[in-house]
Amino acid sequence: MSPLTRAGATKYLASRLKNEVVVSNLGQASLDLLAIADRPLNCYTFGAMGQCSSIGLGIAIGRPDVRVICLDGDGSLLMNLGSLCTIAAEAPKNYVLMVWDNEVHQTTGGQATATARKASLVGIARGAGIEKGVEVRTQEELERAVDRILKEDGPFIVVVKIDKGPSTAPFDQDLIGQASRFRKALAALPAA
Amino acid sequence: MAEQSWAKHVADVLRRNDIRLYATVPDYIVSHVLDVLWADPGVRVVTTTREEEAVGLLSGAWLAGHRGALLMQNSGLGNCTNALASLNMASMIPMVLVMSHRGDLGEFNPAQVPMGRAVTHILDALGIRWIRPTSIAELEQQTDGLVKLCYVSAQPVAIVLPSELTGGKRG
Repeated sequence: MSPLTRAGATKYLASRLKNEVVVSNLGQASLDLLAIADRPLNCYTFGAMGQCSSIGLGIAIGRPDVRVICLDGDGSLLMNLGSLCTIAAEAPKNYVLMVWDNEVHQTTGGQATATARKASLVGIARGAGIEKGVEVRTQEELERAVDRILKEDGPFIVVVKIDKGPSTAPFDQDLIGQASRFRKALAALPAA
Repeated sequence: MAEQSWAKHVADVLRRNDIRLYATVPDYIVSHVLDVLWADPGVRVVTTTREEEAVGLLSGAWLAGHRGALLMQNSGLGNCTNALASLNMASMIPMVLVMSHRGDLGEFNPAQVPMGRAVTHILDALGIRWIRPTSIAELEQQTDGLVKLCYVSAQPVAIVLPSELTGGKRG
């Protein structure tokens, strides 16, 4: 059991945010972010499993003046590992990939993922060419990692080992409204 | 590689419609379009490892205010069908898909044929409007309007490039 929870880590990250974009993975990450720290610069995703890190990369390329923090899941990132190679090759300085790694497919009932066995997402990312990567397991380590990702150039990967357990937050079905609100909010953010 | 006039036309229509970001998993036929784009310092081309990843990337770019096009082989449509359905159609995120039509007239590789047969049916099943121009004249007549439809409908559209237009790929 990890001392960190997804909800607790989400709440802590949100308390540190200013004008950063946050892109959340379908299911648990989006549900918790929506319930705990809804804001117009959040880009929720509820479809295209695996694509959170790629959607964030597209936003980071499109707005190099804005820091983009993806909140991915271990199961989803494992589905799109090639994305790590593309992130390393494009190397946007404003890009951060955080992964809520609870070592299970939470949304489908808690079946073990490869990170429960042998796979290390930080190790895979390093092999793909993302040089800045840390795995955190405690609140203190999380706080140190957040200090760095809000200050240093990326690309960065932070794998947060969290406790298992589904979000209890409600689902908002208005996907078109969410996307539209985010797009307008980002367009309205003055170029830095 | 000798410049192909159809390829220049495709690149020109996309650029004329303010598409400056391209993502691709390369293919022999669309590489003729890529050659034009790679030579243009005013555009950015990102090579992804899989077509689905390109759909995610271009969707993010759209949310950040940029138009994008995905260049791929039609086999790549199979690799990104779910993303197009559950992200682009569900959330109304437009992008232009440009794909070769392998597995049709003149094909030499049997492995290409089933997807060649399926491609327009998959697009229809997704509700994605597509064109399949077989001549430069048809290309000129249809492509600009299709790209405009993409952004007015806020949904993906597809340009399918048949061997009658491109010459296809010979063994």
